[in-house]
Amino acid sequence: MKIVMFTPAVQVSAIGRMACLLTAALQAAGHTISIVRAETEQMLHETTHDFGAELVAWTEVARVRGLLAAADLVVHQIGDNYQLHQGCLEWLNEAPGIICLHDYFVGHLFCGWAQHRREEACTILEKWYGPNAAASFFQHPDSESFIEETHRSAPMTEWICAMGSAVITHSSWGIARVMDACPGPVRVVALPYSAPAAPVRHAASRDDMLRVLTVGHVNPNKRVASVIRAIGGSETLRAMTVYRLVGAIAPAVVVALSTLARNSQVNLLISDQVEAPTLIRALDEADVVICLRLPSLEAASASAIEALLYGKPVIVTDTNFYSEIPDDCVIKINPEDEVGALQRALAQLHADPVLRATLGERGQRWAQATFSADKYAAQLVAVGADAARARPVQQAMNALARTLGSWGGSSDMLGGAHTLGPLALFNNSNPD
Amino acid sequence: MKIALCSTFVPFLFGGARNIVDWLQTMLEQEGHHVERIYLPENDSPDLLFQQMAAFRWIDLSAADRVICFRPQSHLIQHPHKILWFIHHVRVFYDLYDSPYRGFPDDAKHRGIRDALVAADNVALREAKHVFTNSRVVSARLSKYNQVDSEVLYPPVFQAERFHCRGHSDEIVYVCRLEHHKRQHLLIEALALTTTPVRVRLCGSSAGPHYPNELNELITRLKLQQRVSMENRWVTEEEKVDYLADCLAAAYLPLDEDSYGYPSVEASHASKAILTTTDSGGVLELVSDGINGYVADPTPAALAAALDKLYRERATTIAMGARARARLDELNISWSHVLERLLA
Amino acid sequence: MKVLIVNNMAPFVWGGAEELAVNLEKNIIAAGHQAEVLRLPFQWEPAARIPSQMLMVRAMELINVDHVVALKFPAYLIRHPKKTLWLLHQYRQAYDLFDSAHTNLPFGAEGEQLRNVIRNADNESLRESRHVFTNSEVTRQRLVKYNGFDAEVLLPPVNDPALFAGGQMGDYIFAGGRINNMKRQALLVEAMRHAGPNTRLLIAGPPDSPGDAAELQAAVERADLGDRVRLDLRFLPRETYAEYVRGAAAVAYLPFDEDSLGYVTMEAALAGKALITTSDSGGILGLVKQHETGWVVEPDAKALADAMSAVFAQPRKTADYGQAARALWLHLGINWPATVERLLR
Repeated sequence: MKIVMFTPAVQVSAIGRMACLLTAALQAAGHTISIVRAETEQMLHETTHDFGAELVAWTEVARVRGLLAAADLVVHQIGDNYQLHQGCLEWLNEAPGIICLHDYFVGHLFCGWAQHRREEACTILEKWYGPNAAASFFQHPDSESFIEETHRSAPMTEWICAMGSAVITHSSWGIARVMDACPGPVRVVALPYSAPAAPVRHAASRDDMLRVLTVGHVNPNKRVASVIRAIGGSETLRAMTVYRLVGAIAPAVVVALSTLARNSQVNLLISDQVEAPTLIRALDEADVVICLRLPSLEAASASAIEALLYGKPVIVTDTNFYSEIPDDCVIKINPEDEVGALQRALAQLHADPVLRATLGERGQRWAQATFSADKYAAQLVAVGADAARARPVQQAMNALARTLGSWGGSSDMLGGAHTLGPLALFNNSNPD
Repeated sequence: MKIALCSTFVPFLFGGARNIVDWLQTMLEQEGHHVERIYLPENDSPDLLFQQMAAFRWIDLSAADRVICFRPQSHLIQHPHKILWFIHHVRVFYDLYDSPYRGFPDDAKHRGIRDALVAADNVALREAKHVFTNSRVVSARLSKYNQVDSEVLYPPVFQAERFHCRGHSDEIVYVCRLEHHKRQHLLIEALALTTTPVRVRLCGSSAGPHYPNELNELITRLKLQQRVSMENRWVTEEEKVDYLADCLAAAYLPLDEDSYGYPSVEASHASKAILTTTDSGGVLELVSDGINGYVADPTPAALAAALDKLYRERATTIAMGARARARLDELNISWSHVLERLLA
Repeated sequence: MKVLIVNNMAPFVWGGAEELAVNLEKNIIAAGHQAEVLRLPFQWEPAARIPSQMLMVRAMELINVDHVVALKFPAYLIRHPKKTLWLLHQYRQAYDLFDSAHTNLPFGAEGEQLRNVIRNADNESLRESRHVFTNSEVTRQRLVKYNGFDAEVLLPPVNDPALFAGGQMGDYIFAGGRINNMKRQALLVEAMRHAGPNTRLLIAGPPDSPGDAAELQAAVERADLGDRVRLDLRFLPRETYAEYVRGAAAVAYLPFDEDSLGYVTMEAALAGKALITTSDSGGILGLVKQHETGWVVEPDAKALADAMSAVFAQPRKTADYGQAARALWLHLGINWPATVERLLR
């Protein structure tokens, strides 16, 4: 099949990395992939992952149209970042396809898109969340309160999913909204991931220090402050732990966390954003990876999966995607007792190297089996077939709705028992 | 009983698919039933299928006690007592999908349409109280593609009592539309290779002049003008009865047809043997080689041998004609049987 | 040309529109074209079904058709680049019958939406047709009033004119057509009580319901007119009906406010029969002119009785009226060849 995939391609994009893996798996299965770069124009000069496939920018309209005309399948990689996924939004109307939904919460994506479309955005908010939704949505003073207020009441999942012909998501916790909105098939498939280098088994440390790592953009929801407090609350941990942060971090946050660490007598190492080799070395050296989320917004956590594939013992928050990981492969922290549970977990891991090794091994085995790019590729193709099967009925219904609409009939009229009832036989033919 | 007969049609195109409905109406009315005949337009174009299918779902025939549906998409009509006399699928999405006749690309979009169509048909077919087909060929397809069981109910000809046997001349008669897939040209090519003075008569109308012209050129080229009578027109029912009454035997050799074709049944009613070929399809459900006709390989040489045999072994030919008549009873090809099964 | 006539169908119901369609088909073929009738099943009960029926027609795909002539809602919603409407019926329950509350459309928002949808679809079909004709002046006026659309009137001809030739002046007044309250055959029976002794009446036609038949029979019995009134209440074979018309002295037809000229009137005029009607019969007055082609009286038994008696009291005048009626009818030029020509322009 000829597949056109809209995705961020720049190296800083973890989703781009995933798309790369997926491309290789699809090519191995005999398909031809063309990549349409979705990142915003200003980022198009930056280095990309090596896709081993034709790359076209979303702004090259004629070329993209040419690819679409010949395509058997269209895929959009969607995450909560407007800079990285703008191209997908620009083309979704003309080329609806399978949406690979990396984040259930896409509030930031929506805001970026809504910048020059405030009226349309308000209509969308009202449609999904009621007449009051629009008023409060754009009023939040900062990112924290924005996420806090909207992730439960207006996550914008419906907005994006309504635009796809099918949705693949990477865990099931947020799927209700997806199913509400997506007109086509919806499937949960484990995110494909592989460690960038051959996964390294945990080697015995050179010293007794416990090297703890957290990877990713340092947002409040990663709970770094709680980790610092947990380490700081134990004499042993204070003495024996180095807590390293690898990932983009705002200067104000650097100050705040450093102050907290100093006051708590915790060894905190802040590395900011790094190149891939540095990240790999950091993972390699780590004894424990902490991957907390509160609130948890992503469908699946690439960093947690990556840590597991590296054979590292991982500590996670017992919520959403992380709850779906088998209990014997990670340590799950009850968010109600965050600091206390963290402290106990870290103490346990520090005291018991065998536990660290066992946990790492089990997690690695499970991750390798689950997050397979080949499996994902096969599922993607299958969902594509399901979507192609659902499409003719969808198109027919849309055409009939348009006709009725042109006569002034409401969608209620098309949905009435006498009109919709006899069409139930088409539901049976839709694999939902 | 109030019975609605539903089928689809292309306006101004008449023939087999309409005959079965029109004749059934007459026979049902003769039995005292109230019959409403509904012909609705239908276009097989892939992008238009599903809107039309939705339209058929909205048709209300609850005023009828029973509804009998024939050609797609009429089988989508809803009714508590729906009977199907299924004569063919939308074949380009079924048995002709993997054939040069598909007419559209085999890409993801069309595979999707095919899958959706099959899924919808699967539901609609199962709504029927009973599914009949017009041939084993079609029943086999229903089984293979939709996993639906069906009963073969052979379509009879109208007023079969008109056909009779008056004698046996030296003429093989092929009364059928002159079209390439009916392969009258094959019969002419075969005639050129015969060694007996057997003759051939071709009668039928055609969609255009192209094929009849081809046939004329062929007849001239093979110098068969004295042995072939060709009438490129719609012959009347009376003429057809006469030709069949007097002929030596009848020929019917279309390429891979679903159903046995009315010409072969008409010939059987006239107690005449039938010449056909191994690849004619549904005719072979009626004709068995050496029993009620000859089934030759689709080559001029093989057909020529059969033609000569029909001429030379006259007694056999006449006996096969009698068995052709009997075969109709064996296969229950009659209106009384049809009514009995449809109204059961 | 391949002409497809498109009409509604109510399964197992056959009426005037169906007859018209069949005769149109016959006459289009007589004019040298090919013609077929497409009958689309239409279920309007309950009203909530109507949108689906409209969509059903709109989704139909026609191939191998050069020209469409469509007669009723929703059949005329069918799509075709060369479509002519000969409007026999809109969905009156959305228009004038809604106003007079004889409708199955609900009152309130739901009904308003349905009316809106019907009107918009009608307007769309009117706009996309190459010509729009109506079968009567009344229908034409409704189209102006409710859809702001100006159509031409094209009166339907008598279906089989030859049947009505060669009659003789008989000894009875013939009252044909469907039997129901609106057609007011009972009024004629009432009038007979006051009419002259040699006045005879023959009422023949299909009752809309057994109740209608019973009522009329009871009226005849009550009036005790012996053999001066004859009832033949059933669907008449065409030949029988024509015979009744041909053998009449005059023909009476007095429906309340009818839309059109009325087939009974048209056929009677064609047969050269004097006509009797009432002042409130609506379209019938197009053919019945007081003291020219017949009698127009108040819808009152005594007034009718006078007219009916006059038929037999002044046979020469009656004959003259009959001739005048025929002349008026022929003058209107309503015949099938002209109709076909106009429809297929």
